[in-house]
Amino acid sequence: MKKHLIAMLLLGCAAQVYAADTIKIAITGPFSGGSAPMGVSMRDGAKLAVNEINAAGGILVGGKKMKIEVVERDDEADNARGALIAQELASMDGLSGVIGTANTGVVIAGDKYLQEKGVTKIITPAAGSASMTQWVKAGVPELSIFRFSADDGLQAQMVVKEAIKRGYTKVAVFHDTTNYGVSGRDDLLNQIKLQGNKLQVVTTEKFKIGDKDMTAQLLKAKTGGAQAILIWAIGPEMAAVANDMEKLGMRLPLIGGWTLCMSNFIDNAGKNGNGAIMPQTFIEDPITPRARKFIDAYHKAYHVERMPSPMSAAQGYDALLIFAAAVKQAQSTDTHRIKEALEDLKEPVKGVIADWKHPYAKWNPASEDTHEAFRVQNVVMGMVKDGQVVFANEADKQRLIKQDK
Amino acid sequence: MDVILQMGVSGALMGLVYALVAYGFQLTFATSKSINFGQGELVMVSAFICLSLLDIGLPYWAMVPFGLLAGAMLGLAVERVAVRLALEQKSEGWILMTIIVGLFLFSAAENIWGRDDRPFPTPIPTEPLHVLGIDVTPVELSVAIGVLALMGLIEVFKRKTLWGKAFEAVSADRDSAELMGISAKATIMLSYGFSGMVAAMAGILVSPITTVGPTMGAALVLKAFSVAVVAGLESGFGVVVVGLFLGALESLASFYIGSGWREAPGLVLLILALAVRPNGLFGRARIRKV
Repeated sequence: MKKHLIAMLLLGCAAQVYAADTIKIAITGPFSGGSAPMGVSMRDGAKLAVNEINAAGGILVGGKKMKIEVVERDDEADNARGALIAQELASMDGLSGVIGTANTGVVIAGDKYLQEKGVTKIITPAAGSASMTQWVKAGVPELSIFRFSADDGLQAQMVVKEAIKRGYTKVAVFHDTTNYGVSGRDDLLNQIKLQGNKLQVVTTEKFKIGDKDMTAQLLKAKTGGAQAILIWAIGPEMAAVANDMEKLGMRLPLIGGWTLCMSNFIDNAGKNGNGAIMPQTFIEDPITPRARKFIDAYHKAYHVERMPSPMSAAQGYDALLIFAAAVKQAQSTDTHRIKEALEDLKEPVKGVIADWKHPYAKWNPASEDTHEAFRVQNVVMGMVKDGQVVFANEADKQRLIKQDK
Repeated sequence: MDVILQMGVSGALMGLVYALVAYGFQLTFATSKSINFGQGELVMVSAFICLSLLDIGLPYWAMVPFGLLAGAMLGLAVERVAVRLALEQKSEGWILMTIIVGLFLFSAAENIWGRDDRPFPTPIPTEPLHVLGIDVTPVELSVAIGVLALMGLIEVFKRKTLWGKAFEAVSADRDSAELMGISAKATIMLSYGFSGMVAAMAGILVSPITTVGPTMGAALVLKAFSVAVVAGLESGFGVVVVGLFLGALESLASFYIGSGWREAPGLVLLILALAVRPNGLFGRARIRKV
């Protein structure tokens, strides 16, 4: 009996030593269902970074090279499932942190469990403002949740700027009746005011999920004399707007949230989707050596010719590199120490989207910006062209090439 | 003026699809006094089957008869699984059973074809034509032609053929018809087969405009139900008129009152119709002599 006990203790120790040899990171997101393109690309992008780090021997922590071990969880874009996964991860032994989640609803359902236990998480690519503003509203003194995505407020700012830049003076605002659409509308109207009321909103039109006939809304825009439509909704309904415009012989440009780059818009709208403009963090175009390296590596590793959601892939990749840099700086796999390191990253991280210099700061309960990595200069405008997303403005492309030099 | 005309015409053309789905309700109600509450799911599953047929390389025009056949089979399956037993026992169990079959088809579709909306290719051009100052696409016109053609064919069948006469006889008085040697069972099966075929046709016609997705049926069926109730569950002509009217009304309401009010006038109409003419605008109050 005694021998058994000792053996068990020894085994236990051995297991612990083994566990401490790796840095355990959970990647969660929708890997199946309608949001899968985002989740899968994010996961695969992040795993590309993991493979690179592990191939180089791992991260030097406390004088020892440690490899990254990935735990995957599919939340199916389902809030309830996301909450269960978050509870599991919050109590998982030896977990260094979590990266992922593509749906704002899942973030809101699950992140509270992680925050309770102080488990460090980098949200990517979910963009809804509420994911971070909920913590400002709650006024928490410490926060272990970070975001690595261009949030809706930032996107709305860019959409309005783009419309002004293109010389439009009269626009119609279209949105769906979900939380996402309504808060997007508010962001847009707010930004129009902030940017000097240069755009006159001739009409604000809404539609429900599943609506396919947009004739009334479009004719309102047409009779109001709108020159462009600013839109906040998801793929299928935005495709219906594009398709009905074709039917009515209207040619108003669509400018909207990044959902315009998703396959359920591009495929359903077909050629009618051409010219739609949206903010993007990454465009699958090998304009710089680092972009080329990333795109080639992704295509080769996953045997695809195009990434399902290029910006999710790039964000997953960069988020993991930032997390790894925090582990290195903390010299620890302890999630609390990693959080502190993330809030004050000393060394810049060379990602595929940008060089991330001090992406986060100490949490300030008055503003979520301290835990948001993206600023205007990290985002470009993309445009749908024949089923792909390309740079909408040559200037953006040149700026990125210049930045890289 | 152009705007009213444009809104009215595009709405009315969509309204014809409501009419076709409503016609599916009428067909089965006539013979069996039962309705398939999962009719919307039949539309959706038939549309997905047609899409799969196109995916495996069948040309569009060859797909149509197969699609209609698949719809008819689905209709027969609903009758066998959900309706027959309840009718034999003279119970109202078919209400719940058809809803359950609908839910089952919905889940099956989600698992087989996924939750995404998908485009439905069509060889009919989508470029708009300018007629009398308004824009209509050939696809929208094809909806009108398809709906009226199929309804016309079924009505001719009912009036001119022996089977059709049996159909009418069972509709008029099931017991007397059975005494005359007409099989009510076979007639009811026929009506469900037709009803499924009508659902498939609605799917084929509406999909190029609305895309195909598991939720497409739910949106259609509620409006079709309003059309069927307002028109009355007996008149094929009635559903066409009410369908056209309701479709146009919806469009005009969302334009003039606001896009959030799209459904409101239709519902007000439904309540008014039920209050003033409970048998529907085109229905007859039936006095049954014993």
